Order: sequence, then structure tokens, then C-alpha cells
Amino acid sequence: MRQNWYPIFLREMLLFRKRLLRLGYLFSAMLVPIIYLIAFGLGLGRSVQLQGSSYLTFLIPGLVAMTSMNNSYTWVASSLNLNRLYFKGFQIFIQAPISPSAIMVGEVLAGMVKGLFASLLIIIVGFLTPSGFSVTPLFVITLLLNCFLFANLGVVTGMLAKSHEDTATYSNFFIMPMAFFSGTFFPLDKVPAFIKPIIYILPLTHANIVIRKAAMDQEGLISFAVLIICSIAFFVYGSRLIKNYTE
Amino acid sequence: MIKISGLTKYYGGITAVNDLSFEIKEGEVFGLLGPNGAGKTTTIKMLTTLSRPDAGSYMIDGFDVVKDPYEIKSRIGVMPQENNLDRELTAYENLLIYGMLHGVKDMKKKITDTLKTIDLWERRDSVVSGLSGGMQRRLLLARAFLPEPSILFLDEPTVGLDPQMRRHIWDIIRKTRVEGRTVVITTHYIEEAEALCDRVGILSKGSLIALDTPDNLKAAVGRYVVEFLDGDGRLIQRICKNYNNARKVTKIVRERGKGVIRRRSNLEDVFVKLTGERIEREGLSETEKGIL
Repeated sequence: MRQNWYPIFLREMLLFRKRLLRLGYLFSAMLVPIIYLIAFGLGLGRSVQLQGSSYLTFLIPGLVAMTSMNNSYTWVASSLNLNRLYFKGFQIFIQAPISPSAIMVGEVLAGMVKGLFASLLIIIVGFLTPSGFSVTPLFVITLLLNCFLFANLGVVTGMLAKSHEDTATYSNFFIMPMAFFSGTFFPLDKVPAFIKPIIYILPLTHANIVIRKAAMDQEGLISFAVLIICSIAFFVYGSRLIKNYTE
Repeated sequence: MIKISGLTKYYGGITAVNDLSFEIKEGEVFGLLGPNGAGKTTTIKMLTTLSRPDAGSYMIDGFDVVKDPYEIKSRIGVMPQENNLDRELTAYENLLIYGMLHGVKDMKKKITDTLKTIDLWERRDSVVSGLSGGMQRRLLLARAFLPEPSILFLDEPTVGLDPQMRRHIWDIIRKTRVEGRTVVITTHYIEEAEALCDRVGILSKGSLIALDTPDNLKAAVGRYVVEFLDGDGRLIQRICKNYNNARKVTKIVRERGKGVIRRRSNLEDVFVKLTGERIEREGLSETEKGIL
């Protein structure tokens, strides 16, 4: 009973289904990555060769990682924040006889579904481009883990943000730079040495490292471990924030 | 049974609720009265686990809110003052999610019965934002009932409703009392407290200033009220302990050639007297004050 996360998840899914029926949602979920794909992949990328293959081959897995991050994170953070501060529906979660971690799991799984859905759209686009893009089991596992990680971070900001504008600020300071400097658009070996330590703190960097690997190696394992540790840390912190919720 | 002792809550530097102690018996309808800002909603939020008390303790059936929050949560149903229904979901979906959160068994039948009771069965598939204000309030109330909690907390249940709807909701509350449920209501409609409550506690500036049955409160504060207009046209209401006092005051006012009404006191008179609002001392001589 206390671990009953399903109603939290179901509620988000019912809301998500309604949003899907509105055309605007699909369009906006796809818009940004497709703009990047056209601008960087087709525009800039034609004249660039990376690691002996075309730039598109490099770019598409990065766009999938970025999209999964953006969507898992943003939907959770903003819907939780609105529901907590504005619609007050969060009150019925707190007043229900379920544990903070059940609320956490329900919200995170819902965020993962939204992240995976948007990622799937990019994967389809990837198959349509002449990039030789393919989906391996390692790719799928990394994608799932990345969605999980950023949905957890979404709960953390959704609980911390004191207003809806705050959520946008967090997004501009952490998510936006991560999208650009974590190896989505260019390989990290081209980055000046003094910036590298900062870049290797960012979780998306590690998602980008693993998601591009054909097979697991030592570097991949380390990055994978970082993703898991970050996920657990955000999960524990988010559950704690829910537990300490008070009006 | 609900046992509250020393419950205190600060917001910033302000004491919203100060050292509240009282008990609510099983099966009674208990009213928390007070002017706006007296701390009613803060108290309800603490009692329904939304807000953490800064001091004091609170127990239901021997379970402590801090040590056994789940035991408390599985016993209570809450109708908040602010509408927190999911506006984009339908009436049915709202009840479904709430019911699942509270582990309601035989859900389909219960939701159907509930929606029929509140006359919303026909509108079960309408999204909440498409329902009228009165319908939304009914749904909010019905949602609190759905898990059949042993204690119901209703924060201003009839605020903003027309008189018919208000009476309809009063009937629902009376019915639940017959079923043996404990009900805790906050309201600033005095007639609501008088119509429903077995006992009322009066809050003022975060403190409990009186707690008794409506009848005992009237007996303690005064059974009669003398009303007249003063020189500036303001309405003066004098509460008098007994009939003799009321007669004396009436006589004095009448001798000044003013119109005067003498009536039995109601809970509103008690409330106004105790919370110290609208009570005017001017316009009376020292002897009159002596009589009062």
C-alpha cells in the first residue's frame, strides 16, 4: 500500500494522453532537435568529417541523449512545480497513505515515458537520414538510464523551485549548457584541457560517451557508473524533499 | 479520538497558530470558527499532515502524526478550501486517482454511487474545468468521502455557494454524522456552525479563546441581545447575561427616545463578542456599562 506509485503514474499518463491529442505537443517536442539536425547535421555537417565517418553519424546519438534529457527533465520539473504551487494537486499525494519514494517513483516513471516518447521521434528521424544510425542494446540501456536520471533531477527541481519562473532559471543554467557542452555537437577531445574537468562533472557527458559506444569498454563502464551514482543521488535527494514537504 | 496538545506554527516571524490544545470526540461534528486570518486553515493543514507543526503534538486513535503519519493519513479525508481537483481530468478520473491513492476497494461501484449522490453521474466524462463552481465543490466534497475515512476535514466547505447548494452540502454532512463519522469543519459562516456543530472552538489570532457547545457558549456570554442605533446611525448590539439585564438596557435606550429591539442571542453574537470585533463601547453612560 505504501509503495503504491501507480496512481501517481496513471495521473500523469492521463494528462499526457490529453496533451498528445493536441497537435502542438508533438510538434514542439520534435521542433528543437530537428532544427539542430538540419542546422548542424545537414548545414554544417556536410563539410565535416569526424573520426573517419560523417558528422550525422556522430550527431544523431547525441541528439537522442539530449532530447531524452530535455523531455524527461522539463516535463517532470514543470508539471510537478505547477501542481505543487499553482494547482495544489500535490496536496492529495502528501495526504494519501503512501511513502515519499512511491510519489517519487510514480513521477519519475511518468517522466521517463515522456522522455522516451520524444526520443523515439528522433530515433525515427535518425533512421530516415543517410547516417548509418543503428540501435544497439547498449544504446537502449543508456537511453533508459539517461531518462531515469533526468526525471529524478526533474523531481528535485520541481520540489525546490519556489516559482514557475525558477524552473526556467534552473533549466537555463544547467540543462541548456549541458545540451551544448556535453559532447552532443562536438567530440570532447577537441575541448581545451582546462574546461574538461567541468565538462566531466556534467551527467549528460557520460550519457553521450556510453550511448556512442559500439561495445562496452573501460571508459564506458566508468561513465555508466557515474550515471548510476547520479541517478541514485537524485532519487534519494528527491524523496527526501518530498518527505520534508510542509506548507 | 483526536488529541491535540500545544500545537504551534510560525510563518516568518508571525505566530499563525499558538499553543493549541483540545480534543475532538469520536462521532462529533466539531467546528473551528474564527475571523479571516485567525489560523483556521493553518490548523487544518497541520491536522491533515500538509504542514509540519513547529511545536506540540497531534494524535488520532493513539497514533502520533510524526511517528505514524500513514496511520493518520489512512484515517482522514480532506476537502480543502482551495479547489485542488485536476482541472484537465474528468470528474470520473479525479475520483479514480484519489480512490487509488487511498486503496479504495470495489472502486467502480463506489465512484458510480458517489457521482450519482452528488448529481454528477451525467457529467462523469466532463473535464473539471468545464464544470460549474458548485459542481466542482460538490466533487471536491465527494472526493473526500470516497475512501470512507473515519474523520473528515472540511475547510470552508460552502464558501461561495448559493443558499440551496449550501443546504444540500449541509444535508450531506448531517448524513455522514449519522453514519458515525467524525467531522471537523472550519467556517466563518456562523449559521453554518450553529446548524451543524456539536461543539465549536473559536480561534482568534492563532489562539483558542473558547470551546464549548453552541448553547453553552450562548449561556456563558449572554442569552439576550439588545440592538439600537446610536447618534451616528451605527448599530449597537449589547449582549446581556440574562433577561433582567436585557430589560434594563432596553428601558434606558427607550427613555432616550430611540427604537430598540430585544432578541435572543445567536452564535454570531457570541463570536463577535469573543473575537472583540464590532463591539462598541461608546454611546453608553457609566451606569449602562455597569449594567452590562
